[in-house]
Amino acid sequence: MSVTSMDQSATLLLKPRRPAKSLFFSREMALMALIVFQVIVFSILFPISFPTFANFAAIARNLALDGIMATGMMLMMIGGCFDLSIGGMFSMAGVITGWLMKEAGLPVPLAVVIGLAVAAFGGWMNGLIVAKVKVNALIATLGTMGIFRGLSVLLGGPGISFLPPSFSRLGQAVFLGIQSPVWLMSLVVLLFQYLMARTRFFRQYYYIGSNQRAAYLSGINVPRMQMLAFTLMGLLAGLSGIVFASRIATSVSIAGDGAELRVITAVILGGASLTGGKGTIWGAIIGVAFIALINNVLIISAVSTYWQSIIIGIVLVLAVAMDALLNRQ
Amino acid sequence: MKRSNIASWSRLGVKLFRSLLPWSGADSRTLESNQNDWKAASSPLLEMKEIHKHFAGVHALKGVKLEVHRGEVHALVGENGAGKSTLMHILAGVYPPDGGVVSFNGHRDIVIENERQAERIGIAIVYQERSLFSSLSVAENIYAARQPVNRWGVIDRSRLLAQAKRILDSLGLALDPKTPLHELSPARQQMIEIAKALSLNAKLLIFDEPTAALTESETSVLFGLIHQLKNQQVGIIYISHRLQEIFHVADRVSVLKDGELQGTFPVSETSPEALVARMVGRELLDGGRPQGPVPDCGPFVLEVFHLSDRYTDEGFRWGLKDISFQVGAGEILALAGLAGAGRTELALSIFGVRPRGAGEIRVHGKSRSIRSPKDAIAAGLGYLPEDRKEAGLFLEMSVANNIAAARLGDFGSWWINDQKVNALALDCIKRLRIATPSLRQPVQHLSGGNQQKVLLSRWLLLNPTVLIVDEPTQGIDVGAKVEVHTLLRQLARGGAAVIVISSELPEVLAIADRILVMREGRINGELKHEEATEEKIMRFATMTREGALCQ
Repeated sequence: MSVTSMDQSATLLLKPRRPAKSLFFSREMALMALIVFQVIVFSILFPISFPTFANFAAIARNLALDGIMATGMMLMMIGGCFDLSIGGMFSMAGVITGWLMKEAGLPVPLAVVIGLAVAAFGGWMNGLIVAKVKVNALIATLGTMGIFRGLSVLLGGPGISFLPPSFSRLGQAVFLGIQSPVWLMSLVVLLFQYLMARTRFFRQYYYIGSNQRAAYLSGINVPRMQMLAFTLMGLLAGLSGIVFASRIATSVSIAGDGAELRVITAVILGGASLTGGKGTIWGAIIGVAFIALINNVLIISAVSTYWQSIIIGIVLVLAVAMDALLNRQ
Repeated sequence: MKRSNIASWSRLGVKLFRSLLPWSGADSRTLESNQNDWKAASSPLLEMKEIHKHFAGVHALKGVKLEVHRGEVHALVGENGAGKSTLMHILAGVYPPDGGVVSFNGHRDIVIENERQAERIGIAIVYQERSLFSSLSVAENIYAARQPVNRWGVIDRSRLLAQAKRILDSLGLALDPKTPLHELSPARQQMIEIAKALSLNAKLLIFDEPTAALTESETSVLFGLIHQLKNQQVGIIYISHRLQEIFHVADRVSVLKDGELQGTFPVSETSPEALVARMVGRELLDGGRPQGPVPDCGPFVLEVFHLSDRYTDEGFRWGLKDISFQVGAGEILALAGLAGAGRTELALSIFGVRPRGAGEIRVHGKSRSIRSPKDAIAAGLGYLPEDRKEAGLFLEMSVANNIAAARLGDFGSWWINDQKVNALALDCIKRLRIATPSLRQPVQHLSGGNQQKVLLSRWLLLNPTVLIVDEPTQGIDVGAKVEVHTLLRQLARGGAAVIVISSELPEVLAIADRILVMREGRINGELKHEEATEEKIMRFATMTREGALCQ
């Protein structure tokens, strides 16, 4: 208001930094530091089994599928929404693709494309229910989670095994010592990181998540953007499910169990807020890596797998509680 | 405080147990005040003296005095923001006064700490906005959290229904108390709100715009009821914008203006015109307008024909009805009227947010189909909403991103060019003198005036043909107010049409070239700047068109 403060602000403005990056700088750096700390501690605790290339390759392979889903979930949560049906979508896409190539005898590429299309359609349905019919996202995707899971058991029974080698080769291929799912995840992450950070179309999600009504009054087509987010989420969850089926050459009906807990935890850890408007795709992947490291150590130290869910649950609650405490200050 | 000493131990045990229960309604103070009634019969029921109240730098009440006698209907009138609600909130225990004395029913200098205590001593408010539970029955609503219970705290259903029935009968409402509330019309629900207040055995009843949602016949039922309450020696404070009603139902009337009492008059010794004159009249703000009469404005850029809501004929009193008007290039048009007259609704209907039942909107003479804000922006309209934080700002996002929000399309067709965004934002910050430490400052940390300038920048960047601003200076300081007015005037000089919605009459008079006054969803009057006075605006806002015109 005063003249001096205006002069000061003018000089401050002369060295612009990218706003989005600086805003989330600290969160991602803190998490990265935590991961480095994890790696050091685990290397000291398990000097033989942990710090090996084979182990890191395994960690990368295990986090790849969650990473793909976390990309979609981060996009959704930036826009102020979330999707609980991803685990169901994960198994359903795998079962449908497997069924099409095994039982219906369709060629592998066609089966994969149809599997992805069904997943995208399922996501679109979620979007229709939430954005147009205005059903609460929690209820809507809780319902469709049951539907997707039921459909995969209905179609695949306990599972469809011995899928064609030309299909399983896709998920088992190794390039430069790194498995194909990791390459795929990298591709998805890079693509969406770039889209979210640099395109005006995807930046609309930050506005919608920050204040949905203001975004609508600013001329943003909120329902259409939300439907697109759900469709992309479905597509990415389906992609993960199909890659998973390919890697083990089997469509498992209960695959992707608990995926929503792991993925939402990772995304919240990575800087998303439940109210929306915050986060980056990088953050989501760092969050996924954090959880993958914990899982890996639990496996190395031969802790029962039941503990994994307990510990991830604790991490989720702690992360949200930390956020609430920090925001209060 | 006397309690029978010969009560058996078991009874005492039950009492102790009940006193621990949160729903325990028994209170000795009610009895005490009843005993004191005879002492106080000669003094007024309610006496408020020298009441002051401040809110964050605003002196909302300045030494207000109010007296209400038993069996009196005391009307309270004033513009929006004159301090009526603040005064009533003090009586209801929503917040305490900063200074002054309240005496009620013979108790001197009492402090009403919360709503429950207000109810207990016999003050009940019938709120304008309903505080009812639509999924519960009528009886449960009337006795919300005060249901008659047996000694174990279980609701005594037959007693509840019988008591509710008695109250409904006394109101002349033939209703089954078991009816779920949501099956009732809005007007009937309002009557339940009154029944609820009556069930408290209130000695002072406060009605806040009670007839806003009532039909004519329901209004006369209400007046009959008020008459009956008068005979029972209940004191009534009656807040209404409808002056005709006040002369029908009230004994005395007090006028508030800018937090000050302008006087209390018996209705027989005053007139609607005299009241309006007392409600208005202040020093004027400078709206940056050239002196002398307003020159003829340019060609009409926005024309609205016969705009109506879909459900106007179902007794919904506040729906928009047959609204037609034009705005010319370079003109600032004000929409005046009382809260709830339909001004914001009209703006939202034009901007494509509210569905329209009928009507046509032309921009630059061309009929446009506007069904969403996106369509409206494409047609050259802009809308700056009333509630900055709820509907305007992206609070956690940066100043630059907030400014760029409606114009994402211009910063590279697909890729965002942050340099361009920053350059434009910086330009706005300089031009509008927005005080911010940085472009990247989250907008929530700016002052209200600067936040409003950020919002204005967003729309100015679009070069709108028509900009609608809803309460543009609400809650911002005087300096920023003048700056906002100047900006709107500049925008109009540049050839845009500006529509200002404002509840502040001095602002309307200072800035508008032409004023449309709305009342109950219609345009009730039109005034040119030269002929407009606060008094004329208030007449059109509070009386029927015929009543306002004749004098």
